[in-house]
Amino acid sequence: MSRAPMSWSPRLAVVLAILAIVVAACGGATTSPSTASEAPSSEAPSSAAPPASANPNFEGMAYPESGEAPCGTADYSGIMKKITAVDELTVEFQLCAPDPAFLPKVAFSVFGIWDSDYLAAHAPDKSYLTAPVGTGPYTVTEWTPGQRLVYAANPNYWDAANAAKTPGLEFHWSAEAAQRLIELQSGNVDGMDNPGADDIATIQGDSSLQFNVREPLNTFYLGFNVTKAPWTNEKIRQAIAMGIDRQRIVDNFYPEGSEVATHFTPCNVPFGCEGDPTWDFDLDAAKALLQEGMTEEGITSISTKLQFRDAVRGYLPDPPQIATEIQSQLRDNLGIEADLDLQESGTFLDNNAAGNLDGIFLLGWGADYPDPTNFLDYHFGAGSGKNFGEPFDDIAAALTTGATSLDDAARQAAYAEANNLIKQHVPAVIVAHGASGTAFKADVSGQHASPLSNEVFSVMQAADRDNLVWVQNAEPLSLYCGDETDGESLRACEQVNEALYSYEIGGTEAIPHLASECAPNDDATVWTCTLRSGVQFSDGAALDANDVVVSYAAQWDTQHPLHIGRSGAFDYWPGLWGGFLNPPAS
Amino acid sequence: MIQFILRRLLVTIPVLFGIVFITFVLARIIPGDPCRAVLGERATDEVCDAFIVRYGLDQPLPTQFVIYVGQLAQGDLGDSIKYSRPVTALLVERLPTTIELTLLALTFAILVGVPLGLISAVRRNSPADAGTMIFANIGVSMPVFVLGLLLAYIFAITLKDTPFALPPSGRLSSGVTVTPLAVVWGLEDLQGLPRAFLDFISGLYLFSALISGQWSAWADALRHLILPAIALGTIPLAIIARITRSSLLEVLGQDYVRTARAKGLRENAVILRHGARNALLPIVTVIGLQLGLLLSGAVLTETVFNLTGAGRTMFDAITGRDYVVIQGLTLVIAVIYVTVNLVVDVLYGVLDPRVRLQ
Repeated sequence: MSRAPMSWSPRLAVVLAILAIVVAACGGATTSPSTASEAPSSEAPSSAAPPASANPNFEGMAYPESGEAPCGTADYSGIMKKITAVDELTVEFQLCAPDPAFLPKVAFSVFGIWDSDYLAAHAPDKSYLTAPVGTGPYTVTEWTPGQRLVYAANPNYWDAANAAKTPGLEFHWSAEAAQRLIELQSGNVDGMDNPGADDIATIQGDSSLQFNVREPLNTFYLGFNVTKAPWTNEKIRQAIAMGIDRQRIVDNFYPEGSEVATHFTPCNVPFGCEGDPTWDFDLDAAKALLQEGMTEEGITSISTKLQFRDAVRGYLPDPPQIATEIQSQLRDNLGIEADLDLQESGTFLDNNAAGNLDGIFLLGWGADYPDPTNFLDYHFGAGSGKNFGEPFDDIAAALTTGATSLDDAARQAAYAEANNLIKQHVPAVIVAHGASGTAFKADVSGQHASPLSNEVFSVMQAADRDNLVWVQNAEPLSLYCGDETDGESLRACEQVNEALYSYEIGGTEAIPHLASECAPNDDATVWTCTLRSGVQFSDGAALDANDVVVSYAAQWDTQHPLHIGRSGAFDYWPGLWGGFLNPPAS
Repeated sequence: MIQFILRRLLVTIPVLFGIVFITFVLARIIPGDPCRAVLGERATDEVCDAFIVRYGLDQPLPTQFVIYVGQLAQGDLGDSIKYSRPVTALLVERLPTTIELTLLALTFAILVGVPLGLISAVRRNSPADAGTMIFANIGVSMPVFVLGLLLAYIFAITLKDTPFALPPSGRLSSGVTVTPLAVVWGLEDLQGLPRAFLDFISGLYLFSALISGQWSAWADALRHLILPAIALGTIPLAIIARITRSSLLEVLGQDYVRTARAKGLRENAVILRHGARNALLPIVTVIGLQLGLLLSGAVLTETVFNLTGAGRTMFDAITGRDYVVIQGLTLVIAVIYVTVNLVVDVLYGVLDPRVRLQ
């Protein structure tokens, strides 16, 4: 919080002034990974010195300022109990319940750390939405809405070994994969996100370009509402799981690098693939089981609907084609007649959330953070919704064990049990993990594709060019990512704002970043994070523990004066930490 | 004439009110809920409840409409649900792109279409006439996105690294900026409507770079607009060429043209002074209509060439259920459309004194 002389460029000041006058809002911030798969280099500031002695006048904040969040009461469903700045470089997170996924969660871009003074000054007028100040390798110098977002290297970046290798960075955006490819081929940009599946061969055949597979970190499934006939019958659900040729779907409709799913959680997530793989394709067994199930239900045939939305996602690259393929497999393999029921996206999601989808529905999930809790608890945990009808108690119990145990062996056993139960009950037929990718000019070094879509541009060098130009699917909505959920905004934030932990570059492991360590107590209900000393924000302010407290509290408490954001929804907080403090009345 | 214009403006008010009402209703008939469209599939019911209250979407529709009309009366188009920013700010940023693209496309269409039509009419049934009309038919038939992608492929990839290469997207190259007029003229302290107007003008890159002498930026902006303008202008070009041809052919068959020729006037004078001038009326009508259509129909071109203009913003607003932006943009485009038609009507009187503005 202690502020050094301001070093903003006049150009940035001009841009800010224009934005402040003409516009009224926007925002964002988030994390940014560090180096390779290790903690930042030895050149990085350390946390060795006793923090309290660094500034004896430091007054640590706590949130809530007095008392704790009312854990386990009707008014509070969250698991965050209290956040305290123990000293200048030590933050303590007290939780209502053990959380072994704490590290992957705090590494998530949404929990980027902001300078508390800057937040207080710029959140109320929302100017922070377009002019973020962070500790990351880049700073924003220009955002021309609708056109481009321009960064410059942060000259004060704390991790010298990982400072920006290309001095300038530009983000462009285009929703059309073909258009993005033309930009890359024409040399207008250096890298692009998500080439179309049909274009990958073109890129691979062009010696001036290079393609990187983005490891799949998502799951496509066929869901059932198990409270609606005939899906009440487990044998019928199992028969469908055995009667769908998933390999054929992946081979024909998914891009290179995609996989047939064996478990609901992808195997590159720790503890993701414990337990038995799901049902193999076995037509004879499927037909026999289906007959058995129908006999039990007193029916001789099944006519249903295949319900889906035409929204392209990494887990579902071509919804109408894949729905048609599944329709024909159901008919040809099992004799099940299914009409295609294409619904508008929002309507479909509403119907799903309300448990109103009575056919077989096509849906999926992409990872927010790499932990089974992110995949399994949302769908099958104790607090899961009506998406699949009623939750299965035995699955939920196993997931609760997995989500609250710090012991690896215990988590392994819990997730093995949960996955075996998911296989048995088949609330969903697990189909595929869809890959995507990035493409770059061949002369860009350090280029990569991240499974979490959080590419780190500071480690990329665009030959001898001063600018690295990147084109992604969409424009960021704001640069205060505490209140954003779309990957395009998060990636833009990650270049400027950093979190306590980060994910390894091109991987999923959570590694120390602004914190040199976050250590749990014995039952993982208290996590103590030690910040690196000497880290500065791009405006010259020094990072301290109060910045962490304020950055988190602004998201946590709906009554906090800085709980503003772009839309004010702060979607991710309740999703990851269970609920807001002072939640809004329904 | 002033009375005519005032009367037309008065008639415009109920027209615009009707547009506001119909747009308001239609926007809400689109299936889907704005919360999940804006916040995505992760939005919980709790978050959506708060979202709907925040944007007043929990109010009965008549109440929402009254509030909206009240805002309009104060010149406030509301705040975008998706961007949480005033629609007027979005307009200041994005409408200039569409206007610049439209005007350049129309200029291209007129400069090429009218001469083609004239040549075609003068050399009726000649190979030139046939060639021109074949070109016009292809132009009318070819979808904008096909032509756009074709042009982008040829000029950005096939001709890459040659002097004929043109950028396939965006408004400016990496590293090139057009300094806003407020900065150039030292008016950074200017606020409110004058500042918004100045920023709007600054968004017209070709114009603002031209008047502020930013030549390299002007050239770069022009290079970026050439392909989209050709793609967008080809259909109007073909229409203008056909109308010019048929209109001029009709005029050339009139008695006064025969008289002019009988007087011994040179053929060029007959065609240009007596023929083309009298053939202009239907051409101006078509140009006026095309301008309106181009303004409201640039969405495909903007998508193909990755230009974030009003058309693209409208498309995003519809898919994102951003009611406020749909309403605001529709209203503004309607105002432009009505204004263009009024100007065309006034031009009739200027071009042909026999037409009385009544």
